[in-house]
Amino acid sequence: MIDPRIYETFREIGRDLYAQNMVSSHGGNLSIRLGDRVVIKRRGAMLGALKPHDLVETRLDKNDSGVALASTELLVHRAVYLNTPALAICHCHPRTAIAFSLSRDEIVPVDNEASYLLKKIPVITEEFASGTPQMAHKVSEALKNYKIIMLRGHGSFATGQTLDEAFFWSSTLEEACQIMLNVKLINEPFIEYRGMSDSYNKF
Amino acid sequence: MMSGWAQNILDIDLTSRTVKTYPLDMEMARQFVGGRGLGARLLWDLVDPQVDPLSAENVLIFTNGPLTATGYQTSNRFSVTTKSPLTGTILDANSGGFWGTQFRRTGHIALIVRGRAESPVWIEILQDQVAIHDAAHLWGMRVLELTRALGQDKHRRNVLTIGPAGESLSRIAAIMNDGERALARGGPGAVMGAKNLKAIVVEGKERPEIVDRERFKFMLYEARKLLAASPLTSQALPEFGTAVMLNIVNNIGALPTRNNQQTQFEHIEAICGETLAENHLVRNTACWACPIACTRISRTDKIEGEGPEFESTWAFGAQCGVSDLDAIIEANYVCNDLGLDTISAGVTIACAMELSEKGYLDSDLRFGRADLLAPTLEQMAYRHGLGAELSDGSLRFATQYGHPELSMSVKGLEMPAYDARGMQGQGLLFATSNRGGCHMRGNMLGLEVLGLPKLIDRFQVQGKSSYVILHQNSSAAIDSLVLCKFTNMGVSEEYFARVLSAVTGIPYATGELIQVGERVWNLERLYNLRAGITHQQDTLPPRLLNEPVASGPSQGWVSHLEPMLKEYYRTRGWDERGVPKPQKLQSLGLAHLTD
Repeated sequence: MIDPRIYETFREIGRDLYAQNMVSSHGGNLSIRLGDRVVIKRRGAMLGALKPHDLVETRLDKNDSGVALASTELLVHRAVYLNTPALAICHCHPRTAIAFSLSRDEIVPVDNEASYLLKKIPVITEEFASGTPQMAHKVSEALKNYKIIMLRGHGSFATGQTLDEAFFWSSTLEEACQIMLNVKLINEPFIEYRGMSDSYNKF
Repeated sequence: MMSGWAQNILDIDLTSRTVKTYPLDMEMARQFVGGRGLGARLLWDLVDPQVDPLSAENVLIFTNGPLTATGYQTSNRFSVTTKSPLTGTILDANSGGFWGTQFRRTGHIALIVRGRAESPVWIEILQDQVAIHDAAHLWGMRVLELTRALGQDKHRRNVLTIGPAGESLSRIAAIMNDGERALARGGPGAVMGAKNLKAIVVEGKERPEIVDRERFKFMLYEARKLLAASPLTSQALPEFGTAVMLNIVNNIGALPTRNNQQTQFEHIEAICGETLAENHLVRNTACWACPIACTRISRTDKIEGEGPEFESTWAFGAQCGVSDLDAIIEANYVCNDLGLDTISAGVTIACAMELSEKGYLDSDLRFGRADLLAPTLEQMAYRHGLGAELSDGSLRFATQYGHPELSMSVKGLEMPAYDARGMQGQGLLFATSNRGGCHMRGNMLGLEVLGLPKLIDRFQVQGKSSYVILHQNSSAAIDSLVLCKFTNMGVSEEYFARVLSAVTGIPYATGELIQVGERVWNLERLYNLRAGITHQQDTLPPRLLNEPVASGPSQGWVSHLEPMLKEYYRTRGWDERGVPKPQKLQSLGLAHLTD
């Protein structure tokens, strides 16, 4: 039995991800780590309208019947939990960030908030970019050093102590990318306002 | 050769009056980093968990870390590790100020003090010289007088000492440094007193080496920005000190009051951080390399001195039912001068107040008796009258009067200012803390109250163990660097890992740094198990488990410890009796210690 407080958090964050165009109707997923277990969105459930039965609890270290119901990205979520201190994961499809991931190996924000919070977001490539062991390995390796990363052409994976926090990194990334896009559209000389910003790509 | 760490361990045997220096084992440094972690690893080799903590066989291990004295924000702290005379557990306590920085500058990562001097001595450590001096003329001096007498000079020569409480082997005696900073909890002052060691004075010149200066400079800059942006570290703590928490914790109904009989104090306005700032603050001040400056200099008609901190204000205030802030400030000052842990002292007095009110103890102590605080503390430090019994903490005292359940302690260490019934995760944290009831072994205040990094439901039980474990591990890692926990209110572990990498040249990922903390936590657990402290001591006072809060925002709640504890053991990779499983020890590189 999953605590109603936990469901409520999933419901709110899922709803906001959908409302902010961060996922399509059935895309993206959320999970939290409860000790040696994972609570993750059910495969095919709509993040924007989660019901209590859309949350699946399964083991962290090995399969049980929960895997038959869990999100296709369960493998990735497990690998991240086993390789990092994360207690929550937000995976979504931020559109502008995905667009930038198609031409860059890292995204270095120019706006104040994302510079302050994220510094840079590495972009990793995986041909079989949905729920494969190769993808799980690459994503979890990258998340050892960064709290949010982009999978090229696919979407972002963000970690946190809470879903709130992981969502925060995700929405900050998308906001930063929208600003970068607007900066490109305006196409005027950039006036640097940040100290030591030339070190961001070394973060 | 790895850099960043001071390279030498100084080893002094007071029985034989011999001094040795040998190099730090760099593999040990990589695994345990410094501070609390290194102290625990050294203690494991040096002190049989069965020894009497007040015997010559116990040791004191003072340690700094690879960040100490680098100039990184709050890189001033140092630790002492020993076997606690209060709890019988492994103990580490850390402190800020200036002594730790100066100690690092002597070129030593650790100072081990063994044995027992025949008569009182003090130790002087200069850059290349170590001397053991006679201290007969210093024995009996109070902390502030002694600190001046040995030539305290904030930035050049720093004094660490015990007061009368340590000399009288009070099991709640602190070790004091730089006058009014304290290695407070668990009675390290009594261990020092038992060694006939009055003081340690340090003067050094060595500058720490930093491998990647450019990266270090960047991390320094970013931390400055983060601390300036956090309202906690840039406004609340500098303006009101840690006492800013009094109103916050009281408002949610989690402030232990009158020995945890209530969870809200009706006179909170009289003792809160805002009142302290308005009526008593002379100025705020800072430890070395600290931009936060949470330390208060406060004044009453009688005294002027450092503090009081949140916990001290609460211990002598709400917990004793006292609303006279002058008396609280003076009690705090007296504790510093006598070398007593303010939390244990206040909670022990509160316990005596309840025993008296219930007729189990014949004394004048009653809740609200502000006039009795300072005199009782004097009696405790000198072991006079009732003070002789109070001097060894609340659990021994309450047991002596037939009511151990009235001691608000875990494993014998008095709990601080959070009632476990109003903060479920904090209760689990207290129950499982390796040094007993303590808020510095990880703290759920951030997640359950302040929203750091984000707010979670403080009454939620399911899943709480994951948060508690993460924070315990993280806390052990920060204690091993050694940094101040308040830095963590603005700067997260990913920055600490990067600055550690910059200083040492060894790449530490965030998770690897937190795993250092997990390694330390498990080693401490193993030590405690060998000392005979088992899962049966992973509990809370019966009041918190069985007596629902009568009124306020936590009304009706008790601590739901049992399900959280089961989940905790499983999540830690321990068996149902709280013993780390072999595969867990293997993964942490500790298996060889238990072969």
